[in-house]
Amino acid sequence: MQYSQKVLDHFMNPHNVGKMENPDAVATEGSPACGDQVTIYLKIDEASKKIDDISFLSYGCASNIATASIITDLAKGKTLDEAKKISWKDAMDALDGLPPVKVHCSVLASDTLQTAISNYEIEHGLKEVPNFGKETIIEELKKIIYPQVGEDIVTLKMVKYVGFDDGEVLIDMNIMSFDEWRDNVAEEIREHLSKFPEVKNIKINFP
Amino acid sequence: MTPGKIYLDNCVTTPLDPEVLEAMLPYFSEKFWMPGTFISTGESTNSALDEFRQTIAETLNAQAVEIHFTSGGTIANNIAIKGLANAHASSGKHAIVSLVDYPDLLTNAAWLEKKGFEVTYLEPDAEGVVGAEKLAAAIRNDTTLFLTTIVNHVVGTIQPMAEYKKVLENAGHKIFWHADAGQAYGKMPLDLQELGVDTLSISAHKIHGPQGVGALFVRKGTRIAQIIHGVSRVGSVQPGGVSIALIAGFAKAVQITFADLDATISKLRGLSNYLLERLEAEIPEIELNGPRGEKRVSHNINISIAYIEGEAITMMLDLKGITVATGSACASQGLKPSYVLMAMGKNHVQSHGSMKFTLSRYNTKEQIDFAVASLAKITAQLRERSPLYQATHSQEK
Repeated sequence: MQYSQKVLDHFMNPHNVGKMENPDAVATEGSPACGDQVTIYLKIDEASKKIDDISFLSYGCASNIATASIITDLAKGKTLDEAKKISWKDAMDALDGLPPVKVHCSVLASDTLQTAISNYEIEHGLKEVPNFGKETIIEELKKIIYPQVGEDIVTLKMVKYVGFDDGEVLIDMNIMSFDEWRDNVAEEIREHLSKFPEVKNIKINFP
Repeated sequence: MTPGKIYLDNCVTTPLDPEVLEAMLPYFSEKFWMPGTFISTGESTNSALDEFRQTIAETLNAQAVEIHFTSGGTIANNIAIKGLANAHASSGKHAIVSLVDYPDLLTNAAWLEKKGFEVTYLEPDAEGVVGAEKLAAAIRNDTTLFLTTIVNHVVGTIQPMAEYKKVLENAGHKIFWHADAGQAYGKMPLDLQELGVDTLSISAHKIHGPQGVGALFVRKGTRIAQIIHGVSRVGSVQPGGVSIALIAGFAKAVQITFADLDATISKLRGLSNYLLERLEAEIPEIELNGPRGEKRVSHNINISIAYIEGEAITMMLDLKGITVATGSACASQGLKPSYVLMAMGKNHVQSHGSMKFTLSRYNTKEQIDFAVASLAKITAQLRERSPLYQATHSQEK
């Protein structure tokens, strides 16, 4: 596995690591079963809406730790509106890149940050709980990385159709049977969507 | 080996013995001739080849004519499995293999399925043992092939070969039996008069020999179809030229390992026991994967460390000059957890946190002390950062 020096630096000496006492917002994404989980804690100045302090915990590989570390660096001192613009690509760029098979780690880190911010906003009446629908599913699919290329499956046009009706998600995928990553992608889709209470059943069709 | 470089991944490959290198060198230079060519110089290489074959045959209690040199263990497995299947498919197209077998055997089983065979995959118990009663239950009238990995490559479990033999003898018809002995040869006694297998593969680089050479035992009278076609120089199941230098190295490695096999095994077992004892003393909340004691091969220890992930651990150990392996999905090419641990009923977290140590005669207690001390520090550090550990241990602080 070829990691950049920056990934190794953040892995060996992560910034902002540790549990935070009395945070203003917290979010945990991923699951032990998928092999990675990140928790992000935020301290937010109520008047300026600035992230005064941020820390993380990580269960995962070297790139999981490194991406969580860099995302906390990127978010620290920013206003919530600024921090909302931080994407997984920003995290990757700041680390001088990641191997394609590890790009999903930076998605998990940025996703956890965004969920922490969203939790804070919902709790403080700054935004409403979004309605679940087809758009939510598509946004979630954009977080799933095709490991061979290191790009998400929506951008790669691997998703042909998304439907949602009465708790059932229907997805038509454009990944061939001989593709070694097909099962991996299907598993990721299930993991991402099954966390929504609105989703009762997930059906994924392949050609 | 310097204390800074501690190699504990001898399941993958082993460092070359300097005496082996010495033994190979003349065959790269002045004795470069190709065995099987009929000139006076070729004749002398032939006799050298016969001698090397004899050396290896003796360690297995086999006859020299039953030993065929190949360019490695995987090619030996392919020649045996495909060769037996092609030769005997007319008597039935059912094969038996286990879910924890070495990838060579499982990928060949997939090939068998494509060729119209039905394959039964036997399940292991929680320690990785595939019970003989499961084999007995799987045998059908059309069963022609049974494939075994004598020592499991992940957890070191030794399969009950003597019990398998009884089951196969009582099957009522001939079932051809191929065994992979990659992790067994040189780590435990193997007697082919006792074992009862029809074919068996071994590899040089697992016992401090060179990479790129192995051997296939084919019991006298066992018919296997030719899989690889070409110039037959030395009557091997793998035609084409053979590397006399690599074979010379293989024979030398065998001589050294088997000069006192009991002593080699007892040294490896002593080191393994010491390693496990130190790990259990120094690191809380770990568990041994696979059996304890005699059901386990002499050189393998596999543990799962709770709350943390294996790739991070192996990378941190690597930066301290310590090489180990992990069954974590994050460290695998296909992002998949160890299929062996999963078949044994372990969960994803146990597989993600699994660490495999495989020892050789070059390892020392001092190296083990350093490796365990380093691992204990790394474990504490990673647990401090782990949300799983924090969730279960935060009240204690």
